[in-house]
Amino acid sequence: MATQGINFQNLSLKDALDLAVLIEEEARDRYLELAEQLETHHTPEAAVFFRKMVRVEEIHRSQLDKRRHELFGDMPMTVTRAMIFDIEAPEYDEARADMSVQAALQASMRSEKKAHDFFARALPEVRDEAVKALFSELRDEELEHQRWVQLELDRAPGEPNPAFDDSDEPVAL
Amino acid sequence: MTALATLPPAQFKSELKPIWCPGCGDYGVVQAIYRALSAIGRPPHEIAFISGIGCSSRIPGYTTAYGFNTVHGRALPIAQGLKLANPDLLVLVAGGDGDGFSIGGGHVPHAIRRNLDLTYIVMDNQVYGLTKGQLSPTSPKGLKTVTSAYGSLESPINPLLQVLSCGAGFVAQSTPADMPGLAAVIEEAIRYPGFSFVNVQSPCVTFGEEDQQVKAHKGRMQSLASKGHDPADYLKALELATHYGVELYTGVFYRNPNPPATYDAQVRERQAELQKTAVPRERILEMFQKG
Repeated sequence: MATQGINFQNLSLKDALDLAVLIEEEARDRYLELAEQLETHHTPEAAVFFRKMVRVEEIHRSQLDKRRHELFGDMPMTVTRAMIFDIEAPEYDEARADMSVQAALQASMRSEKKAHDFFARALPEVRDEAVKALFSELRDEELEHQRWVQLELDRAPGEPNPAFDDSDEPVAL
Repeated sequence: MTALATLPPAQFKSELKPIWCPGCGDYGVVQAIYRALSAIGRPPHEIAFISGIGCSSRIPGYTTAYGFNTVHGRALPIAQGLKLANPDLLVLVAGGDGDGFSIGGGHVPHAIRRNLDLTYIVMDNQVYGLTKGQLSPTSPKGLKTVTSAYGSLESPINPLLQVLSCGAGFVAQSTPADMPGLAAVIEEAIRYPGFSFVNVQSPCVTFGEEDQQVKAHKGRMQSLASKGHDPADYLKALELATHYGVELYTGVFYRNPNPPATYDAQVRERQAELQKTAVPRERILEMFQKG
């Protein structure tokens, strides 16, 4: 997780909202990339879950984007995607050919935790009260997302038992 | 040359879906290339991406630039010919460590001393991944692979030291574990007027070692800027490069503060000079007729 050229002490509410939109956008795009990788590599179940995450992140992005435009209209953005990396997006090396749905969910859980930690770590630096309120809200939402992923994890089928995987049929009795 | 500062990175992404193994470092590298090209501001039709053979050499197909996935180890000669034929093109060259430092190893010193304005990006994963994990020229000594069941007996090539000692004017290293840093060094390499080299430690998720994966890079990488390195200091760059394979330094090792004229610029200059005294075409036949 990294940011470049962002000073949280001077962050305005407009910039904070733009940053939040970009974080969701990065996560959405990364989930899409991972889904496409797994579809290419014949891992459809985990790909379906990542596609679901694309939709979830897009909903979060559009909600934040709507708020931003309600408050600040079309005022130009001063933060860019180049300033952020891997904040809520699952990391590239989380994907594996043949990964299970459970492994995909665990990757997603790590991403939600990363996002929570990002806002929690940034908060003490923030001075603007409106930005503090926004970051607190986003931090708490990440906890909500973690609970949702945990529920999905509880429902997900367990990892296949490797002892029964790929075993040869007996050739003689 | 067209300057379009507003082309977003997505404009450089082609419709072709990468087929690298999920988790491969090259996914991060291609994203960093999109970012760097967006920052450079040249449109895709003014860019040519030349590669050799191997997993990483598939990269040109994943961009909207002109691309040529050539033959093994021959990306540099083809890229040099292209740059001479059309000097206005922004020419990028990509390949793996095997393509660049084994099969194409003989071309590297000559491309460097010739100094055409090219950017050579090597995705160094220390193994031949596409052919199922044999030893490559940068595999560490002792590495066990399908071709070295008891561990490699060979010492690896040090790509950083090699290109520095050959006189490359711009030498950098990065990893997809640091995407903003990787995009920044690729952009800087492209902007350097002359041969520039970027070694990307891009892990092979299938045949690579655990301590070479992106997660491990995040814990190991140290930026040269944070160590106070001055990229104009050639001798210090050489010393830092000797730590290849032990430390993972990221950033610019060396940037020649006084870049010499490029080969392509000198060719144009000589052509202009010779043009002044050149015999006009219509008179050439006349000269033969007169004997």
